[in-house]
Amino acid sequence: MKIFVLNCGSSSIKYQLFDMKKETVLARGRVERIGMDTAVLSHRTTGKEEVKQVASILEHTAAIKKVLAVLTDPKAGAIQSVDEITAVGHRVVSGGEHFSESVLITDEVKTVIKQCFDLAPLHNPPNLMGINAIESILPEVPQVAVFDTAFHSSMPPCAFLYAIPYILYKRYRIRRYGFHGTSHKYVTTRAAQLMKRPVEDLKIISCHLGNGASITAVKGGKSVDTTMGFTPVEGLMMGTRSGDLDPGALLYVMSKESLGVGEANAMLNKHSGLIGVSGISGDMREIEEEMAAGNQRARDAFDMFVYRIRKYIGAYAAAMGGVDAVVFTAGVGENSPAVREQVCRTLECLGIEFDDEKNKNSEKEKEISKPSSKVRVFVIPTNEELVIARDTMEVAARVTESRRERR
Amino acid sequence: MDLHRIGIVGAGTMGQGIAEELAGKGYDVLLADKTPAILEESKQGIELILDRKMEKWAITEAEKRVALGRITLSTQLMDLGDVEFVIETITEELDAKKELFRTLDQICQKGVIFASNTSTLSITEMGAVTYRSDRTIGLHFLNPVSKGVVEIIRGLKTSELTFKTAREFVESIGKTGVEVFESPGFITTRLIMPLLNESMYALMEGVASAEGIDTAMRLGYELSRGPLEMADRMGLDSVLVAMERLFRDFGDLKFRPCPLLRKLVRANHLGVKTGQGFFKYDEAGNKLPEEKIAQTV
Repeated sequence: MKIFVLNCGSSSIKYQLFDMKKETVLARGRVERIGMDTAVLSHRTTGKEEVKQVASILEHTAAIKKVLAVLTDPKAGAIQSVDEITAVGHRVVSGGEHFSESVLITDEVKTVIKQCFDLAPLHNPPNLMGINAIESILPEVPQVAVFDTAFHSSMPPCAFLYAIPYILYKRYRIRRYGFHGTSHKYVTTRAAQLMKRPVEDLKIISCHLGNGASITAVKGGKSVDTTMGFTPVEGLMMGTRSGDLDPGALLYVMSKESLGVGEANAMLNKHSGLIGVSGISGDMREIEEEMAAGNQRARDAFDMFVYRIRKYIGAYAAAMGGVDAVVFTAGVGENSPAVREQVCRTLECLGIEFDDEKNKNSEKEKEISKPSSKVRVFVIPTNEELVIARDTMEVAARVTESRRERR
Repeated sequence: MDLHRIGIVGAGTMGQGIAEELAGKGYDVLLADKTPAILEESKQGIELILDRKMEKWAITEAEKRVALGRITLSTQLMDLGDVEFVIETITEELDAKKELFRTLDQICQKGVIFASNTSTLSITEMGAVTYRSDRTIGLHFLNPVSKGVVEIIRGLKTSELTFKTAREFVESIGKTGVEVFESPGFITTRLIMPLLNESMYALMEGVASAEGIDTAMRLGYELSRGPLEMADRMGLDSVLVAMERLFRDFGDLKFRPCPLLRKLVRANHLGVKTGQGFFKYDEAGNKLPEEKIAQTV
């Protein structure tokens, strides 16, 4: 069974082809600068040389056709024909309140994805473009939507409601949705495997620290709270996003600087966070370098970043009534020993005994707490594509099954 | 119809503003005007618009560079041979616009739509000199271009498809298009000009000070600027030209330009661009604090 996984952005597409027998990646690649005359396709079939093509690719259907062509290329490709693809899985950022799990894509599902454009204006429109493109090229192949929001649909109302007039929830569905669900689900499931305990028995705090960052409290395998909210701006301090902020301060700035909605939105999303405070960069690696060189604003930004994470770990331990494991994942979470150390240091009160040596070694997936630690701490590289592939296989298998029964 | 490459002829204030807006929304823009000097000035103008946006956190340094990279400047109309949509923003004179459309008709591919940014002139007349009167339309962007509305003007022969394409184009850059059937001054110019003109009469008659008139209207009707400052920002010479044209076309006394307006234009007090009109302004166009300008005029 071969599953093709697509993550379509506005001007880029990332893809992987899985053989689900052993969950191996047959090929992976990306198309960048879609819409331009100099779009770039880079593709690597496992065990072969990387292929790069520069061509005029003006929209998503053309881009996906190119990808399928290279996938079936006798020299660079991984399969003989597109018929070998059993199903296609799509990452879809927002499913609003409609989906608690991955679903087979139908016209109704497409309509809902469209209705959620307002909730994820940068992501849902290109996600749908990718779906439509596959539909036109491979009309017979089942497609599955895997939503970033689905994992968080288990949050209770006390965690997802905001304390503003209830009518606003009713009218515009203003509530916490959360993001990065697929990643949080993967690393917490994996942590349970590493602990050799059923995930149902565990309380895990999962820290997805990438360019966008969120922490999720996962109790018994279910998300019970997460830091990102109605939009991805809430919660942790991020590369270029502010995270939590007094809404009163925002209103004050808007009136003082006569900012419009668009400007205020860009300020919070692109000019805040690490780059806003440090004035240097939104990239944690550069912040750490500058900090080592003695730059005070870089240090302030780093300290704030770490402090927020500690604060939420404490909050979620209280929210769940305890914690069994803390997991770090994504760019910063996987690659910054300094961030992990500063977050976990002096958390003995919570039961964390941190292991400096293990934290600094070069293993990718590892445990970084001492054997005696009551709470175990892990670094687990995230693998959203694999979750999408698994879900897609499962949903598609159910569909094929029911089709067979009908015959 | 998917558009990617847009030609703009006329690199003045409106041309710069539209070019910046389109580039920011992902279009490739070819901005053409007569001389390298004008183009150099327009390049600086566009950078200034982008810098202002950066100061207000609306865009990042990288987004500024990307936007600038999407704009190509040219002194050759021939370069418009491969654009998919043309917007002209040259001087507001019918003969000049007709001449331009006649020339472009030979250069541009057959299906390309010609849009004029005129605020008062006849689209039908402009289309009549081309072999594409059905593909000629008016797109009236207001000043500054960042405002959310564009009047879409149908000439007598403008086709349904042309109108539809133009509306989709306007929506693709996040603006609301309003359908207008050709008539002098369309909606916005026709309605705002008498207000500006009447404020000048009120000032001339000593009803209130310039500051008083603007404050009352600004707060009373939730305008972001009062009518006299609005006139200063449009350029009093442009206001006078528009009033004269409305007066001539409608022949109605309500459009008669206020004598005070004529007087200021004669004195070269044209508003923000000369630093003085009904109010005084600094280099960056910021209004200077209250002065006794009313008495001096």
